[in-house]
Amino acid sequence: MNDLWTNRLSEYIDGELDHTERAALEAHLATCGHCYATLADLRQVVARAKTLEDREPTRDLWAGIRAGLTTDAPIPLRRDRLVRRRFSLTVGQLLAACLALVLLSGGGVWVALGSRGQQSGDAEKQSPPTRPGIRNASERWRVQSDMAIAELQDALSLNEGNLDTATVRIVRQNLAVIDRAISQAQHALRRDPGNTYLNLHLAETMRQKIELLRRANALASES
Amino acid sequence: MPRQVLEDTLTADSIAADTALAASGDASAFERLYRTHVARVHSLVRRMLDGDEADDVTQDVFIRAWQKLSTFRGESAFGTWLHRLAVNVVLARRKTVGMERGRFLADDAPLDNASGKPVTLELSMDFEEALARLPEGARQVFVLHDVEGYRHEEIARMLGVVPGTSKSQLHHARMALRRHLER
Repeated sequence: MNDLWTNRLSEYIDGELDHTERAALEAHLATCGHCYATLADLRQVVARAKTLEDREPTRDLWAGIRAGLTTDAPIPLRRDRLVRRRFSLTVGQLLAACLALVLLSGGGVWVALGSRGQQSGDAEKQSPPTRPGIRNASERWRVQSDMAIAELQDALSLNEGNLDTATVRIVRQNLAVIDRAISQAQHALRRDPGNTYLNLHLAETMRQKIELLRRANALASES
Repeated sequence: MPRQVLEDTLTADSIAADTALAASGDASAFERLYRTHVARVHSLVRRMLDGDEADDVTQDVFIRAWQKLSTFRGESAFGTWLHRLAVNVVLARRKTVGMERGRFLADDAPLDNASGKPVTLELSMDFEEALARLPEGARQVFVLHDVEGYRHEEIARMLGVVPGTSKSQLHHARMALRRHLER
């Protein structure tokens, strides 16, 4: 057994030896059965570590956590941390996002509806229906998103006075674009509720709205 | 688009929506986040610390997550953010209970000389049991590197050691564990 080489085997597995060291170790491995066998074992350990399965705790910990939440309630949207410093969003970034949204949302719905219109009746019959489970999950998610959006919009209307007018204008323009995209997707989904692309498109657009509202609120809170 | 992709997307979006709801004070949304992530957090904590501390520390992780939700910027997935928070809580716990560098092995010290639990692991142990019996320092480096995928530089920063110590600990841990592979 050569301790000098054995101790380098983990670094060899992890690709942390330089070219010269690697070549020297590989030459040693070609002649040392012990190191070769150890290397194989260590590789198995590394592989085993990656397959460890996560386990739930043996008892439900939620009650204790819930009790901790009552005494240490979060500070939603950090309204208490409002200061007077004014903050501007990067106008270029927001305009770019705005344009991208216009193109993506309008174009996406147009493509979905257009391609739908070109399909024959037979093709429509072959379109796989969305599974009830997926549709339920999607609807549940939409309800949750609507609630989150309503709360975030309420918070923003309280906080947007901390943003400068240019930022507020751009945020509103982006929200209007997103709302149009949501409206188009919902309209299209009423005609074709099982359309996977439209469901995904709507989910992504609502997610973008939540994200924009969340970021705008965070900026207003920090301003 | 494959349905699995759609389901994954809806799950990710559902987590994002629950995160937004929880950040606005919705405890029910936070409970859903807890149920989605508790197995991963608890397993990390259990592997990093003594098993009997795992429940308390896991609860602490989620309470801290609730308190810090307003700082979550959405730049990473919620699960990634929560996981990093859990690692920080575990490491802070380690310092609190005086398990700092005193229990870390010197670079080339053999595991059997470490303070803490003996490394005379029974061959009949399963891999998780054998992992739990490793000395604190080697176990934490092994979990962070081989199970959780952190790099030595990150681990060294988190544990307050040099990367060479992290590499050495990892090798010692692997060498001890190789005798306990299920064959």
